[in-house]
Parts: sequence; structure tokens; C-alpha cells
Amino acid sequence: MIEHRKMERKTPRVGLNLTPMIDVVFQLLIYFLLATNFALGEQVFRMDLPERGGSSMIDDPFDIPEEPLRIRVLSTAPDRQTLSINLQSQYPQPSDLSGLERFLRDNRSGAEIGLFLEDHPIRIVPAPDTRWAHVVDVFNAVIRTGYRSVHFADPES
Amino acid sequence: MSHLHERGPARVEANLTPMIDITFLLVVFFVVVSTISEVESVDMELPKPEPTASAPPPERTRSVLNVLPDDDGEAIGYRLNATEYPLGEEGVESLQSALVVLLRSSPDLRINLRADRRTSQRHIAPVLNAITEANTRIGKGTPARVNLVVVTRRMEIE
Repeated sequence: MIEHRKMERKTPRVGLNLTPMIDVVFQLLIYFLLATNFALGEQVFRMDLPERGGSSMIDDPFDIPEEPLRIRVLSTAPDRQTLSINLQSQYPQPSDLSGLERFLRDNRSGAEIGLFLEDHPIRIVPAPDTRWAHVVDVFNAVIRTGYRSVHFADPES
Repeated sequence: MSHLHERGPARVEANLTPMIDITFLLVVFFVVVSTISEVESVDMELPKPEPTASAPPPERTRSVLNVLPDDDGEAIGYRLNATEYPLGEEGVESLQSALVVLLRSSPDLRINLRADRRTSQRHIAPVLNAITEANTRIGKGTPARVNLVVVTRRMEIE
């Protein structure tokens, strides 16, 4: 019995002290938790860019290509903060984004008058110094009214 | 004489191994994710259309193209994934060549375009043209696909 006790006492316990490592790992974890900025809330508008020069494939030889509706977008003074929208001259000019939305919605095929089908080509024509936010606002307004063929034209000086 | 007394007081120990495992996994996750975020999400004020018709980004192959802004929101260069390109014709041509390589390797690629809300269209139009040209050069026959990245109101409040 005494021999057995001696044996028990003599056997050394080999243990790794993990406490400092856990401390450091927790510090790292807290740092990353606080420092990481997830891109939550980012959303996208899907847009297909038309090919250069158009497609050489002709679906219907008697199909007359539709004249796109051009929406000019300007960022005006002061400090390019104000959005200004111009439609082609034959259409009534909207004063703001909601006016543009109303015009597009009222004239979409399926409504009472129906000037444009929902796949009618729409070109957003910004000026070189137009703010990206204004271009995206107009793009959003057009998409919201149900049009599918919306593209950007090269900036008009 | 009891056996319990012989062995001394009972040692109460918590098994820390699962906690350490999970903590390490979390650290590795944050290390990896924060590196990706740094490369892809350049700090900028994204456009915030309201009410928005945008949708969450689709889960598919995509590359992120940032229009790098200065303090006033004007462009100072472009960054495609981790590579930066200067403004101007030369930079845009290099960007276009890089886009051709990317589109050749994965034809279904979507380009996420991130630009500051204050950036002028004169710096964004060349990027859109470069994507179109790159897509035409690989002769895919389908339009180039772009995602215009915006931010929702919820993010703005945070």
C-alpha cells in the first residue's frame, strides 16, 4: 500500500498551461468582432450592357427598331446637389423623380394610354459631371415603373 | 480510513477544449473575411436610391470593381479585385485587358460596380465601356452583366 502511494506521488503531471493562449485568442476575437465591417445592406441593380454596334442577328426583317426614350440627367448647382431631368422635347418635362415615375407609369403599355411597351428601350444620358447618385436614382425610378430595357448612354457634354 | 480522503479534495475542472476549438474557428473566420472585405469593399458612400427596386446580390461568380474615391468623392483610380489601375486611357486599357482575362476564365462572371455617390459620370462611363469592350472581345455573344451596387436605408442607419 505504501509502495503504491509513493508511485502515485512520483508520477509527474505534464500539463500545458493554456491560459495565456486563450487570453490572446479572445483578444483577437474581440478585435475582429469590433473591427470587421460586413457589407450588410448592400444591394445591387442588375444591368446588361448592350454590345457594341448592336447584334448582327435579325429576328424579324420587318421589325422596325424602336427609337429609345432618352432621359437626360444633370446635377445642377449648388455643388451638383440638385437633380435635373429632361425628356425628349415631344414629351412633357417632369420636374422631379416622382414626376418622371408618374410619366413612365402612366404611359406604359397596359395603362390607359400606353405609349411604351415594358421592353421599350430607355437610355439614361448623363452629363460628364453628373453625380453617380443621380444616375442611379433615375435608373431606380425607371426600373420601379416596370421597364426592362434600361441602359446608360455615353455622357453628353 | 476512506478512499476519498486518501485521494484528497475533488478537483473540479471545466473541459475547455470545445470552447477553444470554436474560438479558433471564429478567429480564423474573421481573419479571412476581414481580408476579403478590405479588398472588395473600399470605404465609400454608395448611392442610396429610395424606395429602391434593387435586390440582394445573387450567389454566383462575381468580381468587384471599385471606383476609388478621394475625400470629396471624386475618382482617383480603379480597383478590380485587388489590383489598382490609374485614371486615364492607359489605366482603362489595362483594366480592360484584365477584364478580358477574367471573362475568358469564367464567362458567367458578373461585375459588381461600386462607386461613390458623388463621383462624376465622366469617371464611371469609361469603366462601363471597358466592360462592354472586354465582353465584345471575348466574343461571348451575350451582353456583359453588371451589378450596380447601392446601399439600403437600413445600412445607412447603422
